[in-house]
Amino acid sequence: MTGKLSSLSDLDRVIHEPARLLLVALLSAVDTADFLFLLKESRLTKGNLSVHLSRLEEAGYLTVKKSFRGKIPHTEYRLTASGRKAFDKYRKQLESIMPGKKRKD
Amino acid sequence: MEQQIDAAVKRGRAYWFADGFSELILGAFFLLLGSAVLLRVWAGQGAFLEGFATTAIDFAVLKGVALLAAFLAIWWLKDRFTYPRTGYVRGKSVPPLVLLTVIRNLILIALLPVLGLISGLLFVPQTRAVLAYLPAGLPVAIGALWGALAYFGGEWLGLRRFRLLGWLMLLAGAAVGLWQISYGLSELPAEVLQWSILDPLPDALQYPLDEWFIRMLTGMGILTLATGAGFAVTGAMTFFRYRKENPAPYREES
Repeated sequence: MTGKLSSLSDLDRVIHEPARLLLVALLSAVDTADFLFLLKESRLTKGNLSVHLSRLEEAGYLTVKKSFRGKIPHTEYRLTASGRKAFDKYRKQLESIMPGKKRKD
Repeated sequence: MEQQIDAAVKRGRAYWFADGFSELILGAFFLLLGSAVLLRVWAGQGAFLEGFATTAIDFAVLKGVALLAAFLAIWWLKDRFTYPRTGYVRGKSVPPLVLLTVIRNLILIALLPVLGLISGLLFVPQTRAVLAYLPAGLPVAIGALWGALAYFGGEWLGLRRFRLLGWLMLLAGAAVGLWQISYGLSELPAEVLQWSILDPLPDALQYPLDEWFIRMLTGMGILTLATGAGFAVTGAMTFFRYRKENPAPYREES
């Protein structure tokens, strides 16, 4: 197996799923974001979003904090250190497989 | 694919500007500051030396109060308007040590040339020949600096309107500079090169320096107003688009 092909099979399958990749990318730029923000930006359904967020939480990539804003439940999500590391690794692997425009950040 | 990931990362970063409030408040801040500068000029309080210290102190106080008010206004507006519509996002926190280092470096970068120029002007009289160019040169330099900040900030955030604002600031600075040049450069008498800062200001220098100072304030006031107007326009357009795309969420009355 060539280096590029082995990188392809090594891709993190938790992050590689398009909806979860979008969620992780959104969360990577902020400290925390709530359910409504992720819902609006991802345009997923509430159920679908919940499932993907739970999957990321199970993998240890997310932490969840539940609270109330007045009488309304408020759930905030934060990418963990291992989540950030996994996202960075994923982007590097992607770059090595498909070398293109250099990342600016 | 990398571009799509980049776009998603930038969406998170740019959320602070999604509703237009930050630009509207920033625009109001610049408009207030520019108006205050021009009012001071029209009120005839732009005299050099007598007016310099009070101008600097007044504007420092005005900037401090206005920045605090702006921060509180943005926080209040977002809490009531933006978060119920499109959600709450907390920006990445910066460790205090990193923040202090960044602030120190910014102050050093911004202040060193200014302090160098002021020291040169005060203690090395020959450098005062450069004064004649300042009413034209300063707005060009400040417009280019603000323009570069807006342009590259827009690149980082993925906001095209900030790139346009960057060009606007650059062009506004250049336009003010050209306008000042079309008036003719300030004619400062030769005595300005011999005058020591420790001596009282000679009468022959009073009027030319006053005029020079007023021209500087006028140029900077116009540039500040143009910048404020730019921010206000893009802020208003962003706000109306945001409001249209994100109607008020339904709330059951109790």
